[in-house]
Amino acid sequence: MTTGTAHGRHAAAEHLGQPATSARGTSTLAGVGIAAWFILRRNWLRLGLWALVLASMIPIVYDSQQQAFPTQQARDAYAQVANTPAVAAMTGLPYAAGSLGGILVIKIWMTLAVALAFAVVFLVTRNGRADEEAGRTELLRATALGRHAYPTANYLVSAGLCLLTGLLISLLCLSVALPAAGSWIMGASIAGTGLAFIGLAAICGQLASTSRGANSLAVALIGLFYFIRAGADLQAEGMAPSALSWFSPIGWAQNMRAYGEDNWWPLMALAFLGAAGCLVALRIDSSRDLGSGILPERRSAASAGPFTTTALGLALRLQRSSLIGWFIGAAVSGLFFGSVARSMGTLLDPENPFARNFVGTGHSMLDGVLGIFVAFNALLAAAFAIQCLGAARSEEESGRLEQQLAGALSRGWWVGAHLLIAVLGSGLMLLLAGALTGASSQGAGDPGQLAGACLAFWPAVLSMLGLQLLAFGFLPRLTTAITWSVYGLSAMAAMFGGLFSLSQDAIRLTPFGAIARVPAEELSWTPLVVLVLISLVLAAAGMARFNRRDILGA
Amino acid sequence: MATTKQAIEVSGLHKNFGRTAALSGLDLRVDTGQVAGFLGPNGAGKSTTIRILLGLLKADGGTARMLGADPWADAVALHRRVAYVPGEVNLWPNLTGGQAISILSKLHGQVDEQRRSQLLERFALDPSKKARSYSKGNRQKVALIAALSSRAELLLLDEPTSGLDPLMEQVFTSCIREAAAEGRSVLLSSHIFAEVEKLCDTVTIIRDGQTVEAGRLSDLRHLQRTEVTVEVSGAAASLAAVEGIEDFKLSGTTASFSVDPEQLPGVLAALAQYSPRNLVSTPPSLEDLFLRHYSDQVPAPVTARGGGLR
Repeated sequence: MTTGTAHGRHAAAEHLGQPATSARGTSTLAGVGIAAWFILRRNWLRLGLWALVLASMIPIVYDSQQQAFPTQQARDAYAQVANTPAVAAMTGLPYAAGSLGGILVIKIWMTLAVALAFAVVFLVTRNGRADEEAGRTELLRATALGRHAYPTANYLVSAGLCLLTGLLISLLCLSVALPAAGSWIMGASIAGTGLAFIGLAAICGQLASTSRGANSLAVALIGLFYFIRAGADLQAEGMAPSALSWFSPIGWAQNMRAYGEDNWWPLMALAFLGAAGCLVALRIDSSRDLGSGILPERRSAASAGPFTTTALGLALRLQRSSLIGWFIGAAVSGLFFGSVARSMGTLLDPENPFARNFVGTGHSMLDGVLGIFVAFNALLAAAFAIQCLGAARSEEESGRLEQQLAGALSRGWWVGAHLLIAVLGSGLMLLLAGALTGASSQGAGDPGQLAGACLAFWPAVLSMLGLQLLAFGFLPRLTTAITWSVYGLSAMAAMFGGLFSLSQDAIRLTPFGAIARVPAEELSWTPLVVLVLISLVLAAAGMARFNRRDILGA
Repeated sequence: MATTKQAIEVSGLHKNFGRTAALSGLDLRVDTGQVAGFLGPNGAGKSTTIRILLGLLKADGGTARMLGADPWADAVALHRRVAYVPGEVNLWPNLTGGQAISILSKLHGQVDEQRRSQLLERFALDPSKKARSYSKGNRQKVALIAALSSRAELLLLDEPTSGLDPLMEQVFTSCIREAAAEGRSVLLSSHIFAEVEKLCDTVTIIRDGQTVEAGRLSDLRHLQRTEVTVEVSGAAASLAAVEGIEDFKLSGTTASFSVDPEQLPGVLAALAQYSPRNLVSTPPSLEDLFLRHYSDQVPAPVTARGGGLR
């Protein structure tokens, strides 16, 4: 009895006095489980939606393709004509276009892989740099959580999303009776793309000192690797992957070739890149101060010039780096579109019904291809405009708007400044992207005409801004979600509506589908006028409401 | 300068957020040229009131006038004559503190460059650093310098010294005294009783969105009672019966009670019979007054679940 008590006391003293000596207590990974649970708690809905939405594309697209190519004969015919530069540049080499699995890869693989890459980039930043920026990481680091526990948990949860999405995709492929080997590769290659970008996003989160910077950097990498593999697939001879494709992780994942060769080994490279990126990020993390980036903070201006102190000047100054980034992006993609237009147009077979469906019933294949590029430029400019006006909501959410409106600044002027940048900026971007597409097209398109063709999409861009203002007025907390969802759906309907069995009439009722794609189609003024009117009504209603509502924080 | 007698006049102000009532009939008066303290615990409605005065929130009922105008309808014109310091200052992380000061003070109308550089020196702020690298105290300084370097007639300060060190609090105190000497009006919402007692002419105490006490600091009835603690040799229980003694408490040979100053001579005379060995008398503080209004509030229970990562 006595010894028992003494023993108990001893154990208790040991427990109280030296809790840190246990293996769990000292490791830099201490508490990684709790951290992962915490991240799951904060993100479970977001994670679930990403996985479900991405995976659900499989049965939808499979069904539509089964209807489009019901017989082996139809698929064989398609395989004869599938290898066009358009398909190669956008979605990769159609190495198995004669089978439903191969067609599924052509139609949806690239979308899913790139979307998953975006998902993990946003996720890694959200639970990494964004938390650090907001000071939440500091709070966690001060607890008994190991130095590496939270970032590691972040990477692990993101990897979990990749594996879950891949698994769901594979299972859904199996459920429609596609070949088993290819179905597992299908899921694994998409998951692998995500894994690789976890590593890249982790490093971006260490280099940049803001969440915005980290996201921009990582998204730029997605774009870069997408274009590298697009170039690789354009220069490939026959169906053999070009050497250039090994310079892009998206290329590695493509080279796994679901429903084709079914290679497993590039998955190792993808997982290795992801893991290596995470290790490098953790290494940087432990060598830098909390809250800082790799680039040291510079000293700069001790006061603001007269222009920066105006509402418009301040909005421009705040968006300066973002504006520069977007315009460079628009210029690069405009140049890219122009440079591949001629080869795509001449190689497209006008008799091929699929190609016809894709480029529309234009005058010629070349004009059809140019029309698509015009629409792509327009979607890019619209994304820019939405992001630009979104800065208004972030000013409100962060509480900085309160301090500005506490000064002699009216709400109308303040929103007006942000709106003006989005409106004029998107107009300029349309003209620039169109002109550059024409200029780099080796005579396929006229720079002036394509600039005008792109500008014709301005009303569609404006309608997005109108909707955004309406949401900003009435449902400020949902502004971002509403606007981007509508944008995403409109873009999908306009570009891939046919794929989801939408009728032409229905597509014509969407903002981006309503506008004629010059030079493939004749310009019609009616939709432009209608869209401008709708934009004005939406914007006016949103502004009126904003002038009357409370200013809300987060 | 169009002067009115009242810099701020609020009566019966109501504001609801969904089903929660943030303000339910709040009254507040700040006379021109005075420094008014605005006290209340977290969530009592101080910031909501100030946001309504700034036209950031729209009142659901009651009236509010600021510098003789309607804070909602005349917001922009009013803000040229008003400067505001929030308790939680959010700055643009990629602009420097100096740039933020330029922007904020420009928004409040005229900027006094000389004053600005003086204030930068007094508050010891490095304006060439990005706001991202600023501590809470430094961000607070940015808003203070921007507000104080303007020529505003009325300063709305919402817990302006949170995060400032004691030295900077002193700088703040002298800045507010100077502003008052220049004839500016100040509304100072605060948790720091010493600050309010030092600076304010009047005080308004609110609770659950209602005013519970308001007036000149020197006039407040409860502030006039002196607290006395006395150690006596004999039995002290009979002291309770002495005229003028209230709130009597006895522990051993130590008695404590409160006395109205007018009755102090009589009470002291009565005390002499008890051969006091030690006597401490303290003038009541604003803190006592404040706590008196809130002492019947049950503190929210601390839940055991709050300790983890949540």
